[in-house]
Amino acid sequence: MDGYGNHTSKGKDDFPRKILSQLHGSNGPVHAVTYSSSPGTYILTGSADRSIRLYNPIPSTTTSSSNSSSFIHKPSPSTPSSPTSLPPPGRLIQTFSAHGYEVLSLAVSTDNATFASSGGDRAVFLWDVTSGTTIRRFSNSGHTTGRINAVIFAGVDDSLLVSGGHDTTVRIWDVRSQSSSKPVQTLGEAKDGVTSLVFDKEGTGAEVVAGSVDGRVRTYDVRMGRLVTDVMPGAVTSLCLARDGRTVLVGCLDSKLRLMDRSNGQCLRTYGGDKEGWTNNEIRVQSVLGGKERWVVAGDENGSTEQNGEGRVWAWDLLTGKLVAKIAVPWGPGGGKVVVGRDGKEKERKNVVSCVAWKDGGFGNQFCVGGTSGVVTVFGDA
Amino acid sequence: MSYKRSRATFEADLTAQQSPYVFFGTPLPPRDPDVRDDGSYVPIWKQEVRDERGRKRLHGAFTGGFSAGYFNTVGSKEGWTPSTFVSSRTNRYKDQQKAAQQRPEDFMDEEDLADAEEAKKITTNAAFAGLGSTANDATRASGLMGLFRTQGETMGVKLLKKMGWKEGQGIGPKVRRKARLELQNDGSAQGETFLFAPENVPMIAFVKKTDKKGLGYAGESRLTPIGLSGSKKSSHGDTDDEDEDDYGSLGRPKLTIGGGARKKETGKVRGGIGIGVLNDTGSDDEDPYEVGPKISYNRVIGGDKKKKKTTVAANPALQAKPKFITKKASSILGKVGLGVRKCHDGRLPLDGFVFGKEPDALTTEINSEGKYPPPKVPPGWVSSKTSKAESGGANYVSTADAAEASNLDPKARAALLGEKQLPGKSVFDFISPASRDRLAAVTGRSDLPQALGEVPAAYARSEAEKQRELLDRVPKLDKETAVAAISRGIGGGAPYADDEEKRARYRGYLEFQAGFRPQLPQKPTKLTNEEWLREFHEFFNCARIFKPMTGFMASRFTTSSSTKPSTTSSSTGDAKELVSKPPQKTEDPAEEAARLGMFGTMTRSTTDFYPTRLLCKRFGVKPPAHVQPDNYDPTTERKKEDVWSQFQSYGYQGGGSVERELMGMDFGSTGGGGPGSTQSGEAQKPAPAPVVVLDTSKNEALEGKRPGEEVFKAIFGDSDDDE
Repeated sequence: MDGYGNHTSKGKDDFPRKILSQLHGSNGPVHAVTYSSSPGTYILTGSADRSIRLYNPIPSTTTSSSNSSSFIHKPSPSTPSSPTSLPPPGRLIQTFSAHGYEVLSLAVSTDNATFASSGGDRAVFLWDVTSGTTIRRFSNSGHTTGRINAVIFAGVDDSLLVSGGHDTTVRIWDVRSQSSSKPVQTLGEAKDGVTSLVFDKEGTGAEVVAGSVDGRVRTYDVRMGRLVTDVMPGAVTSLCLARDGRTVLVGCLDSKLRLMDRSNGQCLRTYGGDKEGWTNNEIRVQSVLGGKERWVVAGDENGSTEQNGEGRVWAWDLLTGKLVAKIAVPWGPGGGKVVVGRDGKEKERKNVVSCVAWKDGGFGNQFCVGGTSGVVTVFGDA
Repeated sequence: MSYKRSRATFEADLTAQQSPYVFFGTPLPPRDPDVRDDGSYVPIWKQEVRDERGRKRLHGAFTGGFSAGYFNTVGSKEGWTPSTFVSSRTNRYKDQQKAAQQRPEDFMDEEDLADAEEAKKITTNAAFAGLGSTANDATRASGLMGLFRTQGETMGVKLLKKMGWKEGQGIGPKVRRKARLELQNDGSAQGETFLFAPENVPMIAFVKKTDKKGLGYAGESRLTPIGLSGSKKSSHGDTDDEDEDDYGSLGRPKLTIGGGARKKETGKVRGGIGIGVLNDTGSDDEDPYEVGPKISYNRVIGGDKKKKKTTVAANPALQAKPKFITKKASSILGKVGLGVRKCHDGRLPLDGFVFGKEPDALTTEINSEGKYPPPKVPPGWVSSKTSKAESGGANYVSTADAAEASNLDPKARAALLGEKQLPGKSVFDFISPASRDRLAAVTGRSDLPQALGEVPAAYARSEAEKQRELLDRVPKLDKETAVAAISRGIGGGAPYADDEEKRARYRGYLEFQAGFRPQLPQKPTKLTNEEWLREFHEFFNCARIFKPMTGFMASRFTTSSSTKPSTTSSSTGDAKELVSKPPQKTEDPAEEAARLGMFGTMTRSTTDFYPTRLLCKRFGVKPPAHVQPDNYDPTTERKKEDVWSQFQSYGYQGGGSVERELMGMDFGSTGGGGPGSTQSGEAQKPAPAPVVVLDTSKNEALEGKRPGEEVFKAIFGDSDDDE
């Protein structure tokens, strides 16, 4: 099986199908991937092994990146022995470890100086990238129960952190205030866990959109003091704003992705569904807009088990809604490893591709996916 | 014996030698000094009852006590410890899924359980144990003879008893005589006379003369009063040796035939000379005056199995003791009412078997003589009463058998019956493929013929009829709703935004329902009838939800008593049923709309939310109008406050004047919101704004009057200091 050719769906489009590199090092499933802000040179991954890793996705063999030399290059310990068959590994730059639980969400500030992370330990950490330490930990009297599913920067100059979690609240933290441990505001409208958050930077500039398991997409318009609630037919697991802020891609647990018009709440286009075989009923699977907003890219909760734990990435044309690509994501170098579940039994290995990130907010030329295999695969143009 | 035997085998051998005739139970060990004393000869009062695990079972007040609880109750040194108290406050009884219920079995030990288990076994009554069982033959044996001989009391006896007669008395008028007391020799004591029933006259049974002995010879058989004979017999202790079946002794004179088997009558006079009570050994059979060696010959070959009395007589009490009788035997005993007869090997007969016995005396008497043979059936006689069952049963063939035997197929049968020939088709020609698949799945047969789904000619309908029927099933929408739905669709909020064809079909449906269009749009070829109809139902629901806002709001405030207008109009037929129907659970129309894919106004709802001022500042926006505290009209605010302060001051003064009360009432009636609203207005917390009507067409924050510069300073002025 040619797992890395990825020509499962041939087309004239220039969808980036080639695996540029694989980012190893995680000891567990990867729950969050994100590119660094505007150039998007680096990739941050949040893993179930409680650490956050910073990578340069460009392998060292083609070392021509602009500022990669400024970082100490740590070769990945899991460098594959057979480089002919495996894609080259990306370069692990730094590992940030302070979390006591899995890392579920990452957000990088615009100036790339700090990033925020959240996860199972009910706290939002604000990190300094260069020192690798946490600047702030927003946890006291914060989210009282459950994990924090999503964290984003918001406000003018990323002065706020918005986090939403299992306790059904959205909390907004003030990054600038050093003293206050209380959130600036707590938004408790959601009836179920908050799974995804986006901040509309470009549009009105003061809107936070929160997707919740109760099947609602809530838009908090701070400027107007207005809360717009859009009902979706299933639990909302993923949100992705278009750059102009007019449309939002909503991933829903009814096996469909919808591009919603934010002004009137109408559905512009539906992606996925039973026709194409993409199903999403159980797991949070991230979906993003990519390729200068030409494509809708989503992970897959049904990794094919028979093909050595291959996962899949799906891509649709944004305008037509047609399936553009269905790309296999290899399990990674730990191919022979037996996966043991929490109950001690051997688990059926399947690479659930749960997180997707497109470089430069959907306008770059590469994207990366992470999943249960713990290996982040970077795709790019050939 | 070359090898040394173990003690156990030695003892077992010894036991077998000493007591070879033990059939039931365990023999006691031989009284041999060499044999170990295993406690078998411990007196009863020293014996202990122990269960199979060796635990002492019975504890009296003096034998149990402490040790009973200590060792026996729970089998632990600690005895029974109560479990620690668990509060049921949080764990209520009703919450428990499986309440720990005590069953009777919890209080039963192994023996009780075994008993209960045994009691559960259901067996048929012995009488029904099986057809042809001979278990009851003993009781049934006299069945035929019951025709000739009354069993139990005869009618004469019953009549006599009604007249005051008692058994043992003679028949006739009462006789006046002296009381005849026990001792005959003091009969001359008193001269008092009493009325007595006459003496019973012993019935004389005439013995049939079958021998060639001289007339009156009583060497072996005498004329014996039957009563005496019976009483003597019943007084016999050794019922074990009773050989004969005394069916005849049921209060009826017995024909004593062949008296050779009779026992000799013994002296019945008690207290005779020369023999005292002390001499009485209790055995009536022994004739104390018998001279000579006691030799008895069997006078009937094989008939008399009278045992020697000598062995038994050694301990006459033995016979009086209750004997162990097995259940099986006792059941036989109970039925037969006889002493247990054993086979020659000393065992009881097998269950269901009885001993062969001599036939009934009367029957044999009658039959042996050939005197009264039953009347012969005339040779050519045929009963006029031939039973139907008999005739039917003779050549009865079940329907299934008949059907099997028949070599006709349905067509041939139809031809026989003169039915019109069906078109040569099977059931499978008429059922649908889906039904055929179901049949195949149920029967597990894959060789079923293909289903054709034909419709018989008589039931076949024209295409137009079909179409009409289909259209009848299309849900009806009232015109207003349809029109409203169309108008809303024009407004841009139409459902099925992502499916142009479907939207067109939806529109066609609405137009048809609104009456703008004479007929429904053509059925698309790719849809089956079912799908098409389902789609119409979807459209119907869709249009119902997609009503104008008035209807939408009305449906939001639907109470359980009022029904939705669309429901009544769409289904007027079941309006009566609606009365008894429980109010339907109101589904969120927004969720329903989302499910149907009608995103837009239906799924969108807008409410106010109140960002804190710091939040607004961090977002770089002006706080919205309803958050700003100085949005309130200062004049009205002050007025309200004035009134409130007035009221408060009055109240605090505690005045009781009517004027003040009126003031207060006046305020209460005009103030609307009352004190609470005013207070919340004062509070720093953003007020829930019932007064603020949000006009989405006009952004007050942007278009409203710009507040003074100092306001901005107050809000944003210190932002730099903050950092």
